[in-house]
Amino acid sequence: MAMLGDLKDWVREQVVSRVPKADLDQRDPDYIRDQLPGTWLLASLYFRADVQHLDRIPSEGPVLLVGNHSGGNVPPDTFVFTLAFCSYFGVERPFYQLAHNLVVSAPPLGWLRKFGTVAANHDNARLALESGAALLVYPGGDYEVFRPSWERHKVDFGGRMGYVRLAREAGVQIVPVASVGGQEAALFLSRGQWLAKLLMADKLLRLKSVPISLAFPWGLNISDLAGHIPLPTKISIEVQHPIDVDGDDQAVHDKVMASLQSGVDRLAARRRFPVIG
Amino acid sequence: MRVERRCVIDADRDAVWKIVSDPDTYPSFMANLERWESADDHPPGVGARYRVHWKIGSVPVGGLIEVVEFDDLRDFAWVGITGVNMRGRIRLREGRNGQTKVTFRLSYQAPGGFFGYVADRVAVGQVGRTTAATLKQLKQLVEQGH
Repeated sequence: MAMLGDLKDWVREQVVSRVPKADLDQRDPDYIRDQLPGTWLLASLYFRADVQHLDRIPSEGPVLLVGNHSGGNVPPDTFVFTLAFCSYFGVERPFYQLAHNLVVSAPPLGWLRKFGTVAANHDNARLALESGAALLVYPGGDYEVFRPSWERHKVDFGGRMGYVRLAREAGVQIVPVASVGGQEAALFLSRGQWLAKLLMADKLLRLKSVPISLAFPWGLNISDLAGHIPLPTKISIEVQHPIDVDGDDQAVHDKVMASLQSGVDRLAARRRFPVIG
Repeated sequence: MRVERRCVIDADRDAVWKIVSDPDTYPSFMANLERWESADDHPPGVGARYRVHWKIGSVPVGGLIEVVEFDDLRDFAWVGITGVNMRGRIRLREGRNGQTKVTFRLSYQAPGGFFGYVADRVAVGQVGRTTAATLKQLKQLVEQGH
């Protein structure tokens, strides 16, 4: 048992030591600008994306953008929204996104840091907001992003509301960002929380889920660690009105959830077919 | 890429210029316009800056523009400062029987090398339709108010 404990500590240390420290200077506006046409092509032709009401985001200063998360480890909504934000406000406006430790520490995904992606923790989030940047977070994280596809229109943060404290401490408004379509990029069958516990991935890798899905090109896809090729699902995103952080955490969280869910319901009502949109 | 569309408006140049020279009226005739707002306190004319976005494809495309020509009754032109490289021009010339010939040009070039070139080619159809629709709406606006 002692050996098993040592092994767990060693694995945890290896993962934590590989998570890059947040360096906001790694964001590279020129790199982002050069990538925009390629992402625009992908968003416009493959995902037929539609992003509405970016004008609801305060035009300057720090702001916390809170979204519902979909699409497993290849979430189309994140890159579509990043493209839209950078196109609308310009690559010159600092904009960061929080992502799971495994995402920012994976060597093939190092380019994400040039887009402003930093490891999801409270310190990094505060650092970004205190620098005056806009920050995109997905409180539902790996819990929400792997929900079964038949729950695709349900906003579910799994009870997480640390983002409210973050916004309160930084003195910024919360702008909910509702999206639909991402959970149709593959057929997600189960979060696999039981599998995560069985493999101790929850303790070693901060993974609450080892999801099970049917995804191209793997067929049966366990864990989604290698990603997948998303189906060409139509992505629709609607930015909601800003919310002031002026009540207790639960009250503000309830407002954010209500705003997001109503946005998702509105977008889902316009959708006639899965994937096609 | 360069896109150009023309039309003839049944009104004199004064009437057309009154609208073209007032950027506050642009949201009322520019097609697919998502955002047109003043970026400084500069009065309309050379040096005035605006934040402009058209919905092209999936997202708003545009950025900060600056007016570089404001030639009374003749030309209104701008260049993009941020976003895609862009030049725009609305040109008015005397037509027959008191009419006005209007030309709307948009030249643009996306960054990003090969993908930028492909994006330019893919977008050109929609940019052309947007330009044509803008002139159609400008014609209606002027002729209805005339």
